[in-house]
Amino acid sequence: MIKNYLKIAFRNIILQKGYSLINITGLAIGITACVLILQYVSFELSYENFQVNKDRIYRVQQDRYDNGKLSTQWAAGAFAVGNSFKDAIPEIEDYVKLVQQGQVTTEVDNEPTKIEKVFFASSAFFNIFTYPLIAGEKNNALKEPFTIAVSETTAKRIFGTTNIVGKRMDLDRKGNFTITAVYKDAPVNTQLKPDILISYDTYVKMNGPDNNPETAWSWDGCLTYLLLRKDADIKGVEKKFIPIVEKATGAEYKKLNAAVTYLLQPLTDIHLYSNYMMEPAPNGDGKTIYLLLGIAFFIVIIAWVNYINLATARAITRAKEVGVRKAIGSQRRQLVIQFLSESALLNGFALLLALILVVIAIPGFNAISGHQLSFSLLSNFNFWISLAVLFVAGVFLSGLYPAFVLSRFNPVEVLKGNTGGIKQHALLRKSLVVFQFTASLFLLIGTVIVYQQIQYMRRQSLGINVDQTLVVNRPGVGIDSTFLQKMTAFKQELQQQNTIGNITVSTSIPGQAVDWNAGGIKLVGADESTQKQYRVIGMDYDFIKTYGLKLIAGRAFSKDFGSDKNSVIFNRKAAEQLGFNKPEEAIGKKIDFWGEQYIIEGVAENFHQQSLREAYEPLILRLIPDVSGYLSVKVNPAQTKQTIAAVKAGWNKFFPGNTFDYFFLDDHFNNQYKADQRFGQVFGLFTGLAILVACLGLFGLASFTTLQRKKEIGIRKVLGAPVLSILNLLYREFALLLLIAFAIAVPVAAFSTSQWLQGYAFRMQMHWVYFVLPFIAIIAIALITVSFQTIKAAVANPVKSLRTE
Amino acid sequence: MINLKHIFKWVTVGGSRVFLLKDINLEVKEGEFISIMGPSGSGKSTLLNVIGMLDGFDEGEYHFLQESVHTLKEKQRAQLYKQYIGFVFQAYHLIDELTVYENIETPLIYQNLKTSERKAMVADMLDRFNIVGKKDLFPAQLSGGQQQLVGIARALIAKPKLLLADEPTGNLNSKQGEEIMELFKQLNNEGVTIIQVTHSEKNAAYGSRVINLLDGRKEINQ
Repeated sequence: MIKNYLKIAFRNIILQKGYSLINITGLAIGITACVLILQYVSFELSYENFQVNKDRIYRVQQDRYDNGKLSTQWAAGAFAVGNSFKDAIPEIEDYVKLVQQGQVTTEVDNEPTKIEKVFFASSAFFNIFTYPLIAGEKNNALKEPFTIAVSETTAKRIFGTTNIVGKRMDLDRKGNFTITAVYKDAPVNTQLKPDILISYDTYVKMNGPDNNPETAWSWDGCLTYLLLRKDADIKGVEKKFIPIVEKATGAEYKKLNAAVTYLLQPLTDIHLYSNYMMEPAPNGDGKTIYLLLGIAFFIVIIAWVNYINLATARAITRAKEVGVRKAIGSQRRQLVIQFLSESALLNGFALLLALILVVIAIPGFNAISGHQLSFSLLSNFNFWISLAVLFVAGVFLSGLYPAFVLSRFNPVEVLKGNTGGIKQHALLRKSLVVFQFTASLFLLIGTVIVYQQIQYMRRQSLGINVDQTLVVNRPGVGIDSTFLQKMTAFKQELQQQNTIGNITVSTSIPGQAVDWNAGGIKLVGADESTQKQYRVIGMDYDFIKTYGLKLIAGRAFSKDFGSDKNSVIFNRKAAEQLGFNKPEEAIGKKIDFWGEQYIIEGVAENFHQQSLREAYEPLILRLIPDVSGYLSVKVNPAQTKQTIAAVKAGWNKFFPGNTFDYFFLDDHFNNQYKADQRFGQVFGLFTGLAILVACLGLFGLASFTTLQRKKEIGIRKVLGAPVLSILNLLYREFALLLLIAFAIAVPVAAFSTSQWLQGYAFRMQMHWVYFVLPFIAIIAIALITVSFQTIKAAVANPVKSLRTE
Repeated sequence: MINLKHIFKWVTVGGSRVFLLKDINLEVKEGEFISIMGPSGSGKSTLLNVIGMLDGFDEGEYHFLQESVHTLKEKQRAQLYKQYIGFVFQAYHLIDELTVYENIETPLIYQNLKTSERKAMVADMLDRFNIVGKKDLFPAQLSGGQQQLVGIARALIAKPKLLLADEPTGNLNSKQGEEIMELFKQLNNEGVTIIQVTHSEKNAAYGSRVINLLDGRKEINQ
């Protein structure tokens, strides 16, 4: 029987070419979009899934409070956390400490070679995390000081082989490290992708016997991961942290009117829901993921709605068939099955087309989303599952309603040619069209606002000049007592070249978070409870000049004042945090900063250290004449090449053994917007697809309604109606639906976009144009879509349409 | 075979009842060939639909082959008419998307017969009506008379005991109409009970009995 149904369904699809084409194309686009986004989303959700212990691994995350207010949130915490917790809390099976070391340099054939992701890791690392060893023994790895474990790729890059256990390796010319293990490279979907792990005991040794990290509670920067027992109660464990932390730090913090709490973060939540200070790698954004998921389903639902609309609109043409079938013995159930088979066949064709589209779209999608979907997708079990689910959902969600409508017809009525009962579905159809256009309009408004926000962020003056700035990464090798001398000589040599502008060295550069956080800062003589946390940039004399910071009070650092060594400059926000709303008042005040006193010599206007997503932070610019850090060089754009060559030559002369690792600051700064731009592009792309699919449906619907009114149009024309009034008649219906869609979409879009904008510290101004322009665009698109049919009908010769009736 | 007792059917328009069928009593024995006549709107087709169980009624009793139709559920009723009743329509009502062969085959599908059985039965029917050569054509490719022939073949395929025909020759020219009526007579002779609605005295004459309707009421004559 099914075979028979399919045969009939197939014939119907062939017979109604236009109708089928609209449905299949729409469904295929919907399925393609949905599948691509699902793959993207499932990748983002798959982070850390490869870790065998993923359900039992938690990161200890730190919240810091000043005066009872949450001030900073950290991915890392005190060094004593891991061992102290483990000793006191039985639910903790094991712990691992990780300390970020950043990049190191080693030498291969006398060429300095950079290794980027280096961590100190305690010996439980390979027991807790799943990084299988290719060479070496789990029990020996990372046990002794000055031993390291190397990733497969790094091993091959440096040694050409993974058979290197027992060999020695030099890092930053700081001595030889013995390789005890080689581990398989981490998969893409993890936050921890170490190139080299150095044993944590090395870190302990390097800090000397007087600085034991194992007991350090005020010494931050250690990532701690716990492996909990299977039945551990998370809230219960967190509660057990409190007395331990209280005992270790309570008295000291109470004096400062500060507090610190430690919380557990499931390992698998880190990628999407964590954006704290000192994250070992940038994370994704859960909100974006679910927004995209929403869009994907919007598109596929719009396609399903097309099917429902067109199928019910066509009900009249199928009514007679239903009547006949019922009269010759079909039961309603059998008819429902028949119409569902039709829906299945149509969805099946759409699925095939979607498969082709997916294969075609993968490279483009990757380019836009910055993602790495590959054709191996097609061998992915989940991919086929998602296809199957979309297929079944499509068949039933879009097929059931028309099937029930069609199978309900009374055979006596429809065989008499009485199809009056079909009109009632017009309301449903109209509601569905309103839904489609509300969704399209909503997405379009969203796209406009996302783009406006990105534009706004990029156009806003930063308050700091990042243009034409060449930045050289901080040297790792050769930082010793002669560093200042070398740096000064290097800078002098560079400055003699007329192609080079100002030069400065600083601990931070714009375009990234300031990684130096200092607590305990207060005015000299003030109560300890007024201590607050500030971000600090250490810099030489030339930073303010080089970056063109604007001072609103006091003066910049200058060698003309001999004793400038203990000078600081506050930004406006920091001055306010210190209690001075008028910047002038802060000038000359002294602060306590880690046991020393500094004079505030100037107050700088707030500037955007990071993207406009981030708010201004209280910032202290501290003069450190012999600071080691990023070297920023202002270059003449016409002579970029020569400048780079000159800087490189000088670099190699003064800092041998370091890789010359440079970038341009404006690129670096704009990189912060990459995620936003990608989001905007993906959003825009899928909005376009949603509108396209909705228009396909509208086109089909317009054809049918116009066809139905052919006779009416004919009679009106015979009675003397001009073409324009006929068009007016036909457009009025759609115009009303669009207006309703507009009325619904605007508040929804206004609300959700303002929610989205909450994620940005600096937000564009909302403007009515951002709502009205998309509306006008949608009207125009809808009008053009409908006009294909209406104009044809309106100018048609009435004699013809009346005769065929 | 058929026993209608005090059948009423009405619609309510503006609060008052308009009767479509009024106190119809009718008994039909197996093997009869009955013609229902009457002016337009007299309820001929309604009566035929009620007998064919496509339409319900509001009052009265209907017994069909010892089954009380008025007490049966929708599904059982469908089961009953599927098995015993075949329909022929004035406008043929073939399914445009199906070939001649498939149109005739469809009722068998709804009776869940196997493909091989269906094949044999349809082949017999095509043979009997001399339309083997047209089996792969679509209705639009046939003349009106040929289409009605297919319609009758389809009505007969499930071997019904009762054939209901609503003006079967209404859309045909007189020669085609005559052929159809001859066919009906022949079927009747083979034992099929036939009830037809007709305007034509000539066609009515083929039958064994005529029932005249006026305003939903049976006229007492003949």
